[in-house]
Amino acid sequence: MQESAYFDKYNPIGGVWDEMYGLDSNVREHYRKVIEYISKESADDLNKKEELAKRLFMSQGITFTVYNSGEGIEKIFPFDIIPRIITASEWAFVEKGIKQRLTALNLFLKDIYHNQFIVKDGIVPIDIIYSCPHFLREMYELKVPYDIYVHISGIDLIRDEDGTFYVLEDNLRTPSGVSYMLENREITKRLFPDLLPQCGVRSVTEYPTILYKNLMALSPRQISNPTVVLLSPGIYNSAYFEHTTLARLMGVELVEGRDLVVNNHKVYMKTTTGLQQVDVIYRRVDDEYLDPLVFNPESMLGVAGIMGAYRKGNVAIVNAVGTGVADDKAVYVYVPEMIRYYLNEEPILKNVPTHQLGNADEREHVFKNLNKMVVKKTNGSGGYGMLMGHAASEQEIDDYKKEILKDPRNFIAQPTISLSAAPCYMQGSLKPRRIDLRPYALYGPDGIEIVPGGLTRVALKEGSLVVNSSQGGGSKDTWVLA
Amino acid sequence: MLSRVAASFYWLSRYIERSDGMLRMLKINYASSQDTVQEFTWEPVIRIFAGINGAEIEKLENDSRSVLKYMVTGKNNPNSILNIITLARENARGVQEHIPKDLWQCLNEYYHTVKDARLERSLQREDPIGVLDILIKQVMLYYGTAEITMERGEGRSFMNIGKYLERAIQSVDILDTKFSSISENPDLLTDTTYWKHLLLSLGGYELYLKTYREGFEAENVLEQVALNNDFPRSVIYSVNNIHRYFDRLKNDSNVDTFREMSFQIGRLQSRIKYSSVKSIRTDGLHGFLTQTRNELHGIGNSLNEYYFANS
Repeated sequence: MQESAYFDKYNPIGGVWDEMYGLDSNVREHYRKVIEYISKESADDLNKKEELAKRLFMSQGITFTVYNSGEGIEKIFPFDIIPRIITASEWAFVEKGIKQRLTALNLFLKDIYHNQFIVKDGIVPIDIIYSCPHFLREMYELKVPYDIYVHISGIDLIRDEDGTFYVLEDNLRTPSGVSYMLENREITKRLFPDLLPQCGVRSVTEYPTILYKNLMALSPRQISNPTVVLLSPGIYNSAYFEHTTLARLMGVELVEGRDLVVNNHKVYMKTTTGLQQVDVIYRRVDDEYLDPLVFNPESMLGVAGIMGAYRKGNVAIVNAVGTGVADDKAVYVYVPEMIRYYLNEEPILKNVPTHQLGNADEREHVFKNLNKMVVKKTNGSGGYGMLMGHAASEQEIDDYKKEILKDPRNFIAQPTISLSAAPCYMQGSLKPRRIDLRPYALYGPDGIEIVPGGLTRVALKEGSLVVNSSQGGGSKDTWVLA
Repeated sequence: MLSRVAASFYWLSRYIERSDGMLRMLKINYASSQDTVQEFTWEPVIRIFAGINGAEIEKLENDSRSVLKYMVTGKNNPNSILNIITLARENARGVQEHIPKDLWQCLNEYYHTVKDARLERSLQREDPIGVLDILIKQVMLYYGTAEITMERGEGRSFMNIGKYLERAIQSVDILDTKFSSISENPDLLTDTTYWKHLLLSLGGYELYLKTYREGFEAENVLEQVALNNDFPRSVIYSVNNIHRYFDRLKNDSNVDTFREMSFQIGRLQSRIKYSSVKSIRTDGLHGFLTQTRNELHGIGNSLNEYYFANS
């Protein structure tokens, strides 16, 4: 192999799909240019690039704060300099699959908050819906603009050992991380000059423009310049950087709950010249905290009366309230059925086989095979409260079983899926590490648009299958080739 | 502009100005503590800037290093430099998309300098004046950066109103404390170092020497600190600037509230402008300062109600 010392020393993980390393022990065609480019660089140069990336993140304040013993420590989200590359045909497949899935999920939300045909026809059992904490009766019969509930989604995809894409989770509430898609690309431009155009990488910069266009279109008032705001929980939120970035890129006001007030079922923001009516709210505050009069009365993050204004149709809220019922992990099991039911199509993207522990037979099966399973809470996120069967001790498994038996409805189990691997630059050489993919889909009155790219999260610890940033994960720039 | 954003500008600026006043005060008082045969008391400084009660002051007042620790890096003192700069930075963070990047970085650096454990160590073991100078330089950098980079709009007006309001209140407090000490200890009236240090801590020493040829007199100090239009830390200079920057809000304001506040500021401004040392003496200095302080707080309260929507 003449290609590269970095490549020659690369040891792919057995039985795992490798994004770069082909079956014939060669570099896959779409990775070839990148490997050629970096083989011209010494390990020293690459180390310098890695340093530069860190410095750029730090000086721009692209940090999140970890609170430890009362003092905030600012950290950067680890970034691996080697891009993750997706071919045009892979992307076309993913794009089609996500559009189909999102269309069905959105129809499901409209149905479940209106006539509930899918329940009456016996496709989805009623107890799954009513036992979901994110199913909100407050949304019943509430008409949302254009019948769109999920304006922004970040569906998590993974690939098994033969490269097949699976949907791991549908994130339909307030998915985060899109600022990293944008910032990672800006950093790559600096790290590898000229490489992006040489490889024919599609641009992601349209994201804020499309999002802003969609938000404007939702305005309940027919005026030329509606007021769009981004509602953030404030500076202590770990995603605050993302909120300021998006607000700046779209040129909209960044507000907190205390900046808004409701009068006569209309939402206003408090300005130095008095109250100004707000038409569209892109909120990054969870449903539970949105309105203390309707949901959690302790909430200081929300706005009292906002649900009343929403119900009257005087303000648009993005994403719609109550979308969590569709990304509940117990409801996830029924998504392929939903696609057949609403669209009369076969699902393009597969679900990971999932056992509901609320079902006694399945629970017994799972308990017998716990060492080959991953058990998750149905409404958990961020990689917290998971049991990775293959890595857990006897004691941990026993404790977890007790936890499950307290309320089996809240748990699901999936066979351990072997996530695909991609090369990461680590101290002078390339090492395979496990990755996933989160493309961001924007659903507006003109249909669904997916910016060609997304967030690739990577489990930086050797052998780890958990990519969440809270569990030692990092990210990569994600390239979609033209 | 969002009310919260305006309030953040205002408070950010008040905290910075407070830290500046405090640092200069601490520096001069420390120097003066090295220059006396009697036991030096920090009581007035603590009273002006910390707002703690008699017993707590007594514990600290004669130990310079403890006072410096409490006032600069004290975690339990809500008004320590560390805590107010943390608050200033939080205010800036909440309006990050409204301030120039340079200014944010400058403030960030100030914050990291105060938070650095080495600073606390040097403050205890090395020359405190050197340490205080490092911090004073950070404030000057901040003011320079703000001057060069800040957009000349509504935000800057709120910043400057905050800055001069804080400065006016400080000058009033300092005068009040220093002159009330005289009534307890009349010897101070003729103590030249007492007045010299007061002027030094306000940066008004050189101006005083040029203006008054007859040595240090209490009435002259009062005239300079309260009524001298050219002295940047005088009460009248600060109030003139509050008026000047408030006036710029005219186009961005609701007509009624603007008129009301304009009246409030104008009344205070004229009262000070048409005062003389003699008239202040006749009416009583303490009364004059108390009324001025109340009216300054009144302006703060009106801003809070009319512009920051915190009624």
